[in-house]
Amino acid sequence: MLKITNLHATVGGKEILKGLSLEIPAGEVHAIMGPNGSGKSTLSYVVAGRAGYEVTAGEITLNGRDVLAMAPEERAAAGLFLAFQYPVEIPGVQMTTFLKTALNSIRRQRGEAELDALDFLKLMKAKQKALGVTDEMIKRPVNVGFSGGEKKRNEVLQMAILEPSFAILDETDSGLDIDALKVVSEGVNALRGPGRSFLVITHYQRLLDYIVPDVVHVMANGRIVKSGGPDLARELEAKGYAEFTGEAA
Amino acid sequence: MSNVAAIKKTPEKSAFFPETAERVLAGWAAFMAARPKDPEWLAQLRAQGADYLKTRDLPGAKLEGWKYTNLPPLVKQFGDTLGQTLVTFDPVPGVLVQPLTAAQDMDWVREMLSRPAPVQDANADPALWHLCNLYYRDGIAIDVPAGTEAQNALNIAMACDEDLLYIVHTAIRLQPNSRLTIIEDHRGKGAFWKNALSHIRVEEGAHLVHIRIQEDSDKAVYTQTTEVEVMKGGTYEAVALYTGAKMSRNQVHVRLMEPGAACHINGVSLMRGEQHADTTILAEHLAPHCESNQNMRTILGDRAHGVFQGKIHVHRPAQKTDGYQLSKALLLSEGAEMDTKPELEIYADDVKCSHGATTGRLDEEPMFYMQSRGIPADEARALLIEAFAAEVLDLVKDDVVRENLADRVREWLK
Repeated sequence: MLKITNLHATVGGKEILKGLSLEIPAGEVHAIMGPNGSGKSTLSYVVAGRAGYEVTAGEITLNGRDVLAMAPEERAAAGLFLAFQYPVEIPGVQMTTFLKTALNSIRRQRGEAELDALDFLKLMKAKQKALGVTDEMIKRPVNVGFSGGEKKRNEVLQMAILEPSFAILDETDSGLDIDALKVVSEGVNALRGPGRSFLVITHYQRLLDYIVPDVVHVMANGRIVKSGGPDLARELEAKGYAEFTGEAA
Repeated sequence: MSNVAAIKKTPEKSAFFPETAERVLAGWAAFMAARPKDPEWLAQLRAQGADYLKTRDLPGAKLEGWKYTNLPPLVKQFGDTLGQTLVTFDPVPGVLVQPLTAAQDMDWVREMLSRPAPVQDANADPALWHLCNLYYRDGIAIDVPAGTEAQNALNIAMACDEDLLYIVHTAIRLQPNSRLTIIEDHRGKGAFWKNALSHIRVEEGAHLVHIRIQEDSDKAVYTQTTEVEVMKGGTYEAVALYTGAKMSRNQVHVRLMEPGAACHINGVSLMRGEQHADTTILAEHLAPHCESNQNMRTILGDRAHGVFQGKIHVHRPAQKTDGYQLSKALLLSEGAEMDTKPELEIYADDVKCSHGATTGRLDEEPMFYMQSRGIPADEARALLIEAFAAEVLDLVKDDVVRENLADRVREWLK
């Protein structure tokens, strides 16, 4: 599925990713944990293709295709999805317009027929329900006036509608209370399946109680420094990251 | 090694001094010779116009109010022959629309047409006004009787299709407690100069929604002067959507005459190529408890140039004034330019006035967010521009009219 090899990337001339390698097979959920500043969010932006994040070496492939050669929208059409840590507000662009345009753009890029307004609304209604996204929310401009929890639910709704094959959840748990965390996790778990992989980026082990990963990686100083099973997350929660950052515990 | 002496050129002096609009006067004698005899009041108006233009040039960069919009070089070829504007409209029950020549002997029309030209001051210049009177031939008179609430919008299309000077006069009166929506559609072809003068009077409790869709050819020059009087409790609401003309200057001067009068002067300009759009607004508060709003969105691509000059003038008696002004511009390319000159002139001490102006580029974050959802960059950009224009177009309450305007924006974005 997704394969990252010896990835180096700079932001504003400063090297943040320093030779990161990672492979996530189809159907698996991997988690990345790590201290602030280890490069977790940079990794997610580099994979999604944000401007200003310059790859200086290494490669990323999705099902064998060169991700770095694609524009962000082509990556989405190829099956990539990033659930943002800070979902962006877009005043004046209605949720329905946004999502319908997104879905049909992806379908068009894949050579599939576009959905008409009615079929799209049916699809959205069905997905909305499970995530507790109200009609009132989708009538608003994208993320405008949404609470922190609503924004995260909205990210998962978009994921449910666009049905990516590989999704990165960038600190989807931040700013969520326990009820919202459950709703969001259930939304993610419902999408788990043999054809779909996830990379869950988080600070805290708590999220991984709800979205149980197959593999946990520790990231520090722009690299993966340790990998293990779900137990590794609990170990980190107890001991902290000191042993990976070179600081005294 | 050779020395080349610098060559100094003395600028050529006009035959007239200091400067005159001689070109636009060139055909005037012939124009008058072919006209029936004017009534006395009209003869006087024309004479005033001729007197003015014999001593002064058309307004240009040398004047403070025109420093961003240099008209004379753009219209120097026009003036000796006048084009005939083709005006078409669908009748609306209860609304009286007739040619100005048929209505000009009515008191209200004569009074409107005889209104004194502005004096040369700040952003105001009388030359374009006088030019209209000089070549007055016909126009449109629109009258809405007291209490009439027109259900349908009055659609007026104005077509010019030759490379000539066109003069357009309009006189609009809404009598007490009447309502009307006017939609002006400008879709001329060719490289013409259209100079228009509109007189509007919104009487007690009346409400005029005045929409202008400017889609003239991008070779045309369009100068529009609109002067509006709003009486007690009346409302003048304007929305100007400009995508056309090589150069346009939209001058709006609203006078809020009596308590409770209000005006909303809104506009969206979408310019590309070498287009130039200038919106110059003066909202004058002459009575207490009046409200004025100016809301402008300018979108500029390529090497397009936008200008917004907006002024709120609060006279001494106009206590409890509520004045607002906001101009936002979006630059889509390096070569685009926006000039903004907001002004407040306040002589009353108990007023609420605010103004703001921003010029910026499309935000990168929403662009990336949309692209990361599969929306191609061009489409994402179009959605953001549409949303930017909608900040003003959404103020239009009539769904059909608003959708029509939004469609024009989408059409431009294609």
